Amino acid sequence: MKLSSILTKALSLLALSLALPGLALADASGTLIIAENETPENLDPANATNSTVNQLLVGVYDTLVQFKAGETAVSPQLATDWMASDDGLKYTFTLRDDVTFHDGTQMTAHDVVFTLKRLQAASAAVLNDMGPFNSAEALDDYTVAMTLDAPFGPFISALSRIYVVSKTQVEPHMAEDNARGWLAVNAAGSGPYEVSTYKPTEVVTLSASKAYWGGWDGDHVAEVVFRYISEPSTQLALLKSGEVHIAPDITVQDKLALMDTEGFKVDIGAAATPLYFQFNTASDGLVGDSEFRRMLSQSFDRKLHLDYVLQGFGSMPDGPLPPNWMGHSKGTELPFDLDAAKAMVDQNGWAGTKLKVRYLPAIEEEQAAVEQLQSNLSQLGIKLEAEGMTWPAQASTVQKLDTTSDINMIYNFPSFPDPHAILNTSFNTQNTGYNGGYNWAQYSNPEVDALLNKAASSADQSNRADLYSSAQKIIGADYPVITVSLPGSVVAMSASVKGYSYSVAHHQTFNYMDISVD
Amino acid sequence: MSLLEKFYFFAKSPFEKFALGLVFFIILVAILGDVIAPYDPTQIDFRGKLQPPSMEHLLGQDGAGRDVLSRILSGAKLTIFSTFSVIFVVLVIGCSIGIFSAFAGGWVDNIIMRIADIWLGFPPLILALGFAAALGASLEAAIWALIFSWWPNYARLSRMITMDILSKPFILGAQVLGVPLWRKITFYVLPNAFDVLIIQIALDVSAVMLSISGLSFIGVGAQIPAPEWGSMIADGRAYMSSAWWVVVFPGLAIFVSALSFNIIGDALRRELDPLIRSS
Amino acid sequence: MNYFFQRFLFSILSLFILTLITFLLSHVVPGDPAIVAAGPNAGAEKIELLRIEMGLDKPLSQQFIIYTGKLLQGDLGNSWFTHQPILDDLLRELPPSLELVFIAMTINLLISLPLGLCSARYSDTIFDSSVRLLAMVGAGLPIFWTALILQNTVAAEWQALPIAGRLSFEYRSFDGYTGFYLIDSLLLGRPDIFWDTLRHLFLPAFSLCLLFTAVGLRITRTAMISEFQKDYVLLARTKAASELRIMFKHVFPNGAPASLTVFGMQFGWMLGATVLVEEIYGRPGIGRYAVKAVTQSDIHAVVAVVLVVGVVFLLANLIVDLLLYILNPRGRFKE
Repeated sequence: MKLSSILTKALSLLALSLALPGLALADASGTLIIAENETPENLDPANATNSTVNQLLVGVYDTLVQFKAGETAVSPQLATDWMASDDGLKYTFTLRDDVTFHDGTQMTAHDVVFTLKRLQAASAAVLNDMGPFNSAEALDDYTVAMTLDAPFGPFISALSRIYVVSKTQVEPHMAEDNARGWLAVNAAGSGPYEVSTYKPTEVVTLSASKAYWGGWDGDHVAEVVFRYISEPSTQLALLKSGEVHIAPDITVQDKLALMDTEGFKVDIGAAATPLYFQFNTASDGLVGDSEFRRMLSQSFDRKLHLDYVLQGFGSMPDGPLPPNWMGHSKGTELPFDLDAAKAMVDQNGWAGTKLKVRYLPAIEEEQAAVEQLQSNLSQLGIKLEAEGMTWPAQASTVQKLDTTSDINMIYNFPSFPDPHAILNTSFNTQNTGYNGGYNWAQYSNPEVDALLNKAASSADQSNRADLYSSAQKIIGADYPVITVSLPGSVVAMSASVKGYSYSVAHHQTFNYMDISVD
Repeated sequence: MSLLEKFYFFAKSPFEKFALGLVFFIILVAILGDVIAPYDPTQIDFRGKLQPPSMEHLLGQDGAGRDVLSRILSGAKLTIFSTFSVIFVVLVIGCSIGIFSAFAGGWVDNIIMRIADIWLGFPPLILALGFAAALGASLEAAIWALIFSWWPNYARLSRMITMDILSKPFILGAQVLGVPLWRKITFYVLPNAFDVLIIQIALDVSAVMLSISGLSFIGVGAQIPAPEWGSMIADGRAYMSSAWWVVVFPGLAIFVSALSFNIIGDALRRELDPLIRSS
Repeated sequence: MNYFFQRFLFSILSLFILTLITFLLSHVVPGDPAIVAAGPNAGAEKIELLRIEMGLDKPLSQQFIIYTGKLLQGDLGNSWFTHQPILDDLLRELPPSLELVFIAMTINLLISLPLGLCSARYSDTIFDSSVRLLAMVGAGLPIFWTALILQNTVAAEWQALPIAGRLSFEYRSFDGYTGFYLIDSLLLGRPDIFWDTLRHLFLPAFSLCLLFTAVGLRITRTAMISEFQKDYVLLARTKAASELRIMFKHVFPNGAPASLTVFGMQFGWMLGATVLVEEIYGRPGIGRYAVKAVTQSDIHAVVAVVLVVGVVFLLANLIVDLLLYILNPRGRFKE
């Protein structure tokens, strides 16, 4: 093991000196190799909601404000300073004047305005989280003003996914497709790394940008290589043989084993991506009845799931919001109690009911949770039929009420750490499946909507916390979901990797710009 | 000679007799699997997750703590049933098209056979992905996808046989006597086609079996918690390096079944194939 | 030549039917690509807007006419997700798969032809029985299972061959003209890369070919047996020609064409089955591309993959037919 890893390192250094003869950075050296199970669709910042794409962009582009890895509060990046008008409808940003793009041009307010206009023209997915954003305008070279149609509390947080592109580079390619084709395979950013090889189904290589405006301070890798390996067992074999440094997708079982293996380490990040069983609350069938859902909500053993499916990598959920988040309200979901559920089934004669759950079989945890629920419900005399689907197929079934299955399994991946990103997405009427959102419980309660909308438009954080807290209590009493788990972000890596830190705001990505390999 | 005797007669070497025994055993397991399985094949037990083979669990436990042996026994019916459904439907559809084509002759025959030729190029796995997406992933969708891509084999074969028979003198005689078409088919064509078709079927069983497990492996076949052998391998493949038994045993089940059917097919072919028999 | 013309015509017709079926199939699929393209929290309005932009609001017949119209001009359309011309995507994904199939086919021929010939020569001996058993064993092995087991033993456990990928890490920036690393490495005079590519190809190709080799072996053996029984062999034997000469000079060239047809068809089938090994061995390729396209409901990409695999299948068969024609210009084509 030892010898082979030394050999690999020696070879990689040799190869590096052969491949990049001109690169002689004082503070960036070595190569970091990351395995990924999903291949990226493109490199377009418009598509940064997709974590596989975001992963590549996070070190190549800069944003006005950023969530640094391991932090839950925004800090400045391209903007040094910002202020909101009293009515919350206008934000003014002051920009840095020392930022250069990789092509050598200087970043100005016009680039920021161009970036946002292009995203709007391209109906970019990344704008979905920007709420009532209306338009941006350059007041001078280093001042940008943004206008909103309505006040939106998490606006600044939402800007952390808006990657600023170089107007000079992108504008000539706008033509008919708003540069979607060009930016899909080219980058025009100002971040610490540049894309040097883009073979999206095989390998993507980023290399340290020599002229990075932020300068190189501390230890960094000169090159980041992503290898696209979909099989967990293959990722494990490559990690063990020293051919990759980070293997995020191996099984929980193997991660557990690697914790005690010399030469490897396992990082457990406090992720905030709750997994739900969402019940179709608008159903004409039994799941439309809140008493029935009350019974269902007691039929899943979260503790067993945490201990055995997640092998302890995660935390016990307590309601739909992660317990350490602002505005969390305790005890809104019923605990596991199969006897109580059984009593309800007997009392109401629900035995013999058939239900259907749809889920993504490609995800180990979802499959295990469905099997667990199937097993528990069969003890109650309820048959749960499972249908594994692809993501677009599942998403399209919830577009109509009559094709929505009794239960749908879905993760909530908040784009930024704010209760809005979880509660509004999963429980607001405007985000129901039939309205094109991720509230697949088709849950609609005017009281909850009013509280969520009010909280979104408020800027007073303690007031918002109270509103979210009351909303959770009302939601809890309607039993629209079972919060199955709060899985940790567990990443297995070689012991030589230094500086990795989980980033809540960029789930399923790696802060390679802070990492060094020795 | 009854069919059973006929089968036994063809199995000449002890080796082939053993394979024949295995085939019967597999069919028996397919019928009785749920009864003889020592545990409930779908009952999960996370506390026994990925336990290696032991006296209680002879073939170990899978990622959800289910007994691998019970799952293999209970899964036999899925594999066998779906394999034979595919063969049966393909046989009916393929032969109808083939016989029709032979009787029709001329340009109709030409077009049908050319289409059948090209159809063979349709990649069944990719086609099945489409079917699964259209019908919803299920074992039935996988079965339909295979039927859809398999029929040309039987169409071509049955056409060939029919053409061969139609050129025989006794058919000409029947022609003169004014024997109706359906009688020609049921009394002359089908009985004569039987031998050739049975060889093809025996050889196709293993190919269909492998294709179905392949479809389940890429996730478009059987759904959880059904213990289909291919999907058992798919479920277990992530644990390959730490818990080999989850992958190796269901694979062996597929292998042994496919091999037994192959050996029988080969024996049948040796005894029945006119080309080799004449030599 | 009339024969080829007719064949060609039918090929075009079949391709059209193939396209139509795939197109229809992908449109009755419940998955909605517009939802995927719109991203999370998009809202019904934006999804509708994208649906119009993607042309999904038009009636199916109209969509098909537009699609085939473009197809006739050689335009496979753009992917809704990679935003690249699908042709470019395919030109990138096809070489690794073809390379894999090519090596698998080579292994297939290297096993099937000599073993089939010898087994026919010594038919009904122990040697023949073992070869036939071997063929049956091969025909019983699930491709994906063999692939998993070989990867975990030969590659991971014994470290005899690479675990995954197309090239070793040190060659990651290698890029050529054609995308076929086997060809590019030779063109650029890099035998080390050629060797490395070959090493990466061996296990996936071997796992892929076993099933096909079983059939190839059987067909070859049967064809050769009937050849050995022909009069000219007897004649050669009476002339005391050496047995080797009879086998390789007479029987083999006369018997091979019958199995060639099967190998031609196998080429296309193998290409359709690459998906089973590409995922496991972490290789890019047409199979993985197809799976991704299906999971995203990237309809035009799915149709394009089926079309391309169909074209490769037809081409392989045409080439075989031509070869047969060259080997034996008289007859053989009149059915």
